[in-house]
Amino acid sequence: MILLEPHNVIIQQTLGEKLVKPSSLDVQFVDYDGVRFHLSTPEKKTTLLLSMHIRCWAELVQYGALDVLKREYGSLLKDEAEPEYHVSLEIDLEQAPTGAEDREAFITSISLLKRNTLAAPFELAFKSQKQLENAGTGQGELMQIHYRDEEGIYVQSSPDRVTVIFSTVFSDETDRIYGKVFLQEFVDARRLPAIQNAPQVLYSSRDPPLEIRHLGNLRNTEDMGYVTFVLFPRHFSNPTVAATTISHIQLFRDYLHYHIKCSKAYMHSRMRHRVAEFQKVLNRARPEVAPSGDRKTVSGKTMISR
Amino acid sequence: MSNLAPIICDNGTGYSKIGFAGNSDPSFVFPTAIATRGTAAQSSRAPAVPSKPGHLASKRGVEDLDFFIGDEALANAKTPGYSVHYPIRHGMIDNWDYMERYWEQTIFKYLRAEPEDHHFLLTEPPLNAPENREQTAEIFFESFNIKGLYIAVQAVLALAASWTSNRVTDRTLTGTVIDSGDGVTHVIPCAEGYVIGSAIKHIPIAGRDISQFVLNLLRERGEMATVPPEDQLKVAGKVKESYSYVCQDIVKEFRKYDAEPYKYFERYDGEHSVTGRKYGIDVGYERFLAPEIFFNPEIFSSDFLTPLPEIVDDVIQQSPIDVRRGLYKNIVLSGGSTMFQHFGNRLKRDLKLLVDRRLDESVLASGSVLKSSGVEVDVISHKRQRYAVWFGGSLLASLPEFYTSCHTKAQYDEIGPSICRRYQIFGTAT
Repeated sequence: MILLEPHNVIIQQTLGEKLVKPSSLDVQFVDYDGVRFHLSTPEKKTTLLLSMHIRCWAELVQYGALDVLKREYGSLLKDEAEPEYHVSLEIDLEQAPTGAEDREAFITSISLLKRNTLAAPFELAFKSQKQLENAGTGQGELMQIHYRDEEGIYVQSSPDRVTVIFSTVFSDETDRIYGKVFLQEFVDARRLPAIQNAPQVLYSSRDPPLEIRHLGNLRNTEDMGYVTFVLFPRHFSNPTVAATTISHIQLFRDYLHYHIKCSKAYMHSRMRHRVAEFQKVLNRARPEVAPSGDRKTVSGKTMISR
Repeated sequence: MSNLAPIICDNGTGYSKIGFAGNSDPSFVFPTAIATRGTAAQSSRAPAVPSKPGHLASKRGVEDLDFFIGDEALANAKTPGYSVHYPIRHGMIDNWDYMERYWEQTIFKYLRAEPEDHHFLLTEPPLNAPENREQTAEIFFESFNIKGLYIAVQAVLALAASWTSNRVTDRTLTGTVIDSGDGVTHVIPCAEGYVIGSAIKHIPIAGRDISQFVLNLLRERGEMATVPPEDQLKVAGKVKESYSYVCQDIVKEFRKYDAEPYKYFERYDGEHSVTGRKYGIDVGYERFLAPEIFFNPEIFSSDFLTPLPEIVDDVIQQSPIDVRRGLYKNIVLSGGSTMFQHFGNRLKRDLKLLVDRRLDESVLASGSVLKSSGVEVDVISHKRQRYAVWFGGSLLASLPEFYTSCHTKAQYDEIGPSICRRYQIFGTAT
């Protein structure tokens, strides 16, 4: 598994099961970036209520998350969210599509709830880039999404591109070093001829990029890193390409941290292998145990130490 | 983000039960299997070494990311190039390389959680070596940077799960756990949250053997003739799960069946998995004979002959004398093979008989001078028996004390893996 999947497996599996055989249910689970879900059947077995708590909800609403959700889920979206949560979807299992393919699509679209919510600012940026391109000049609004306690995504559109900046904190010293190598690789890998079309990636540690330097709420410490993606119109002019771009880019932080962990696991397996090899060498070097029993002289007499 | 639920990870030999604290069922139950590239024979060889110069991206491939876990692993078992491994043997982790990658995908693909934001509760079998705990802690703290870790003994969690039963009034961690899964059955005495290691006993009869026994019975009666051979064991397993129960007296039960076969015989209908041909079998005496092998093992095996109640009695008699009353009073069932109807009642009756007989003998031996006040024997069955260990974990991890009992990342960095040799019991009412 190289790329993380955009959908939530628990929602997908549970919905799939419940569509076949409805039963009462009350589970809570999470998704990346501290998103909390609550899936329950408060009234009857065939009505599922899926609620989501997302940290940056206020900011997302400001950037049009509600419109995106209305477009994606239509009547499923409840006007009043469940207390303590931000969005609630009411899924009537009896109303769900019956055809195998339609049903699949229905389940997938619901399991993409978090992705769709977080897609709003990106869609807005792509739209405003179009307008700016037609106008020829100007800068879009700098959208800030504080999706984690100390980390944020900054999205800004310009006449010819959309800039996406991630700030990320490495809680662990080792992670920071891995992260640095990794991000440097991103910058270098783009020089390969096969991936020339990939968005440009810039990486800076500690110092925020110029686009967001004027913001007051940035921390200037060693463990901060900033990754800048420059998306050109070719990355989002086609709707399907735009959708995959959004799915990939919003999982970037998790992707990075996932791969740091994978690299560590790889290193550990190399280390274990190496230790096993060294152990073999040590075992070979062990002196042979002197043969026990009494030793004889050449003439056949027994030597006894007194 | 302090309010994210702790993750409970119960990795068993056969199945892993994984989910979030506070829920009543695990979110995922899948086989503890990993399918990796390369043949099984090559498994002992080292991971690929990067050799070519240039960018890192061109230096090495992504073979170490090319693997599947759980159901997907079994589905890919026949794909050329993949081979399936089971990293846990007899409850203990056997191959740390595979296990680390197994956890990696569990967290990132299935749970979709950032390990940095969560506390973890892992389980370990009784008599696990402290070195294994250290290895586990090393992986979780150093690879995954988790917030906090608590490693609990499975038997203790099973005891905690029994608190949901309405017959349990005080939340105690003293009791005998009968844990019967697919491969082996353990009888484990626990005193105040600590396992009495010297008294643990294993019984080589568990779920797999019961299915085999049902299959033998059905074959002898000639019912299996219409069932395709490759489906037979599965059918036997289904019959065991859906129709079996424990009877109080075999002879009476046989008579009942012979007098009114239509009332007691059940019909099982199946369909051939490939051709779709329908078949049906009559399920009869298997219904009560299947779980009977716990109480009369001689009907199934010739090398293991001690009935379960006797083993339980032995285990308790080998434990320190001051906890024996508590052990008799709180016998807790856990695992899928203890789910038979009336299993608890039968065990309680047989054990009570054994205990009372011994008491009578000692009264006689003392010349009827000393009289015992009697020993209370109670077996507790509850609704969450199947995933009792996981559920106990979920219960304990939702207590506020859980966070203070965890070893945190800071403590680990300060002291090192040896921190996990010590652990704190919490959650009891006293």
